[in-house]
Amino acid sequence: MAKKRYAMLIDMRRCIGCHACTVACKAENAVPLEVNATWLKIIEKGIYPNTRRYFLPRMCNNCTDAICARNCPTQATYKRDDGIVVVDQHRCIGCKYCIASCPYDVRFINPLKNIVQKCYFCVHRVDSGLVPACVESCPTRAMIFGDKNDSKSEIAQMLATNATEVLKQEMETDPQVFYIAADETVMSNVEKKINYRAESSLIKLRL
Amino acid sequence: MENSDVNVIYSVQHQLPLVMYIGQYFFFTGLSAGSFVISVIATLLGRREFKPIGKITAILAPILLIIAPLNLIADLEQPLRFWHLFVFYNWTSPITYGSFLLTAYPIMGIIYAIMVYTDRQKAAKILGIIGIPLAISVHGYTGFILALAKARALWNTAAMPTIFLVSAMVSGIGLVVIIAAARWKWFDKKATPEDRKKDKKLILQLAQFMAYIIMLDLFLIVSDILVLLTAHSDAYQAGMLILTGNFAPLFLGVEIFLGSIVPMVLVLGPTRYSLRAIVIASILVNIGVYAMRFVMVIGGQSIPLS
Ligand code: SF4
Ligand code: SF4
Ligand code: SF4
Repeated sequence: MAKKRYAMLIDMRRCIGCHACTVACKAENAVPLEVNATWLKIIEKGIYPNTRRYFLPRMCNNCTDAICARNCPTQATYKRDDGIVVVDQHRCIGCKYCIASCPYDVRFINPLKNIVQKCYFCVHRVDSGLVPACVESCPTRAMIFGDKNDSKSEIAQMLATNATEVLKQEMETDPQVFYIAADETVMSNVEKKINYRAESSLIKLRL
Repeated sequence: MENSDVNVIYSVQHQLPLVMYIGQYFFFTGLSAGSFVISVIATLLGRREFKPIGKITAILAPILLIIAPLNLIADLEQPLRFWHLFVFYNWTSPITYGSFLLTAYPIMGIIYAIMVYTDRQKAAKILGIIGIPLAISVHGYTGFILALAKARALWNTAAMPTIFLVSAMVSGIGLVVIIAAARWKWFDKKATPEDRKKDKKLILQLAQFMAYIIMLDLFLIVSDILVLLTAHSDAYQAGMLILTGNFAPLFLGVEIFLGSIVPMVLVLGPTRYSLRAIVIASILVNIGVYAMRFVMVIGGQSIPLS
């Protein structure tokens, strides 16, 4: 049997933008205020009466060619054999180079522990045979998690029979969070295109 | 879809990872590498009038390089774990090359300085020749730190390490000129008038050398920006950010105008024999290079990623 390769598939035809995943993740992983391992990006498109909201659950893509792991100077960030990218909390020195290198803005400094964290597909749950907290909490079953190398798994079958997309494919990190029917605008860097103000980032400087 | 028809209702932007400690660190290693190279050139040429400059810079280089990594450690979220860098190294990370270079280079610099001060010319020359590649790598790798962080379009260019090296040379020579001029003015009274004249000429030559390197720096920056503006959309945004966006005053005003053009005119123009003008040019050059580190480090991260 091929090596395990965990992946996530998010079906945007089912997502209702309820934020249950965000809340479940916060609770499961004790993610402090002001930082998020997963969140819902929401945009509004069109001019009345032809408008609609689009959602996009965002989280670490647990990339196959994870630039964060490649650039981490202490191997605190590393890829497990099953493909999940984890951060060793006792080894991370907090140099933040991984945050600077990741194209997806999904890593953050835990202000209580002073180390870097991110979504790690809830390895503690996966290792004991459960699905991640966000997947568990999703009321419409829009999130599917599993081993994509196991052809009998739901995720492998869904990936094989649906048109899927990933974020920023051009970054060549081979993301393992796939989306079905996600809107092009919400997937693109809208913030940069329309709302771009460098001041907002400058305020976040801690000089 | 017209962008005006789109509103972001909610999204998360995490705080900027690298702050100005990192820029400062780049600035100090740059100064150190620049002054070391000048020192070795002085030692290798071996002329008597070069000696004072060789000595000043020999001591300056390791001092600056001991200050520089303090910035790095201060920036860590877990400063007491800095030793993890040596024990759990990762050869694909430029920070790992850095941690070893940053240990080897100051040690070598101190031994070199001892040789220069005890006047052991031959040993100093050999150490100097070994030291130059080390000095270049210790600063060059900082360019790779930015260039290999592929998420940020402003950094992710092959020109980055070279731009860092060249601007390091500029700021290093600037610092040496300032110190040499101060020495000439206040501590060089015992020398004969003839020696003083020679010393002044040397400082002027050093400043001219700086002006030529500024030209090279400008060429590199212009070519980098031209390519950014024609590359993919993130790169274009990064180019526009420093040309017309929030970082334009710092980039065009301080880095390019005050930090490159004005010093070049002061050093090569009608004021080229005035020591005061040259010192002002050297101070401006250093302000310009500091601004460049700020624009690169902070500007590079200020474009939202999602
Ligand atoms: S999304 Fe970013 S943090 Fe997650 S594995 Fe990929 S590069 Fe690393
Ligand atoms: S902050 Fe921690 S996980 Fe990130 S690169 Fe540095 S040591 Fe590695
Ligand atoms: S898999 Fe776990 S850590 Fe990742 S977003 Fe879901 S709940 Fe959070």
